[in-house]
Amino acid sequence: MSSSLAEECTPLKRKYDACFNAWFEGYLEPAVSASITPAQRTKFSQEKAAEFEQSCGQVWREYKDCVQRAVKEKGLDVLLDQARVENPLKEPPTDSRS
Amino acid sequence: MRFYTQSFLYDDPWSIVSLAYLLRYPNPYSTHILSCDVISREVTPSGSLLTTRLILKTGSLPRWAPKGMIQRGESWVLEESEVDPLGKVMRCTTKNLDHVKVMRVEEHIHIRQTADGKTLQTTEAMFMSGFGWGLTKKIENYGLAKFKANLQRSREGFAVILNLIRQSRMQPMTMGAPNSFLLSHRSHSAMESKPSTQHEAPGNDSGRDDARQGAPPARTGIWSRWKTWLRSG
Repeated sequence: MSSSLAEECTPLKRKYDACFNAWFEGYLEPAVSASITPAQRTKFSQEKAAEFEQSCGQVWREYKDCVQRAVKEKGLDVLLDQARVENPLKEPPTDSRS
Repeated sequence: MRFYTQSFLYDDPWSIVSLAYLLRYPNPYSTHILSCDVISREVTPSGSLLTTRLILKTGSLPRWAPKGMIQRGESWVLEESEVDPLGKVMRCTTKNLDHVKVMRVEEHIHIRQTADGKTLQTTEAMFMSGFGWGLTKKIENYGLAKFKANLQRSREGFAVILNLIRQSRMQPMTMGAPNSFLLSHRSHSAMESKPSTQHEAPGNDSGRDDARQGAPPARTGIWSRWKTWLRSG
């Protein structure tokens, strides 16, 4: 796993990445099919979020705090805000399948 | 403005290509990636995963670049992705955050499952310079040429990761460790993932081969192989 932008965050990043990757592999292969109802989608979302929280929630918050601190210290938050204002990325696609 | 588009069809199922795409750094070909951090991530109410990553890359300037055009040869890149595992679609947009007056580069990746269970990736890239001084066209052409030249390298790096995932799927263990998230449908996906020769990385340089031979072949997880590269690199 690659390094963090701040050296002090790299150990947390590696711990977080390992946890996330294990969760993500399962997330990519849902046991439910694509033709589910919106209510089932919501249920799927809640289950996955809860699963993630239970396994990786703690290390995610530690890592995120570390990176956010570093982003501020390096002045990158200004760069990020500028990018959002001047050149916003297109909003995420909605479900376009028929 | 200059454009570039390309499509690529993988024999692998969507979940494997999407996993490889998100895990593509580091790989033996990605020495230009200095850091990669997740700065936000959430599961939406409809079940998609939204991720924002901040990536630091090194780059080189062309010889004709005016002095002081760019302060340093590094660039921050923002990557925003959306993964919908139910619709089997992944989208990813990357763009540079600094040096935007010299050139903005935006790349859009779209990975979706085809009707016959393969995976189609489309890549669109845009190169826009507002530099002026008669250099706008030249800068945009340079950006496009550089992007095309690097494409083969990034494909080879991606292929390495894809192969590691294919190999890990053929073993009862996943990604080097037992994975409780996958137990329910592991046997099903193991059968789907047959190895494909389509994307073998040709001509691995010998240093990397040595590093790989140094690691025990079979039971070694994907993570320890990555560590081997990191040590050797």
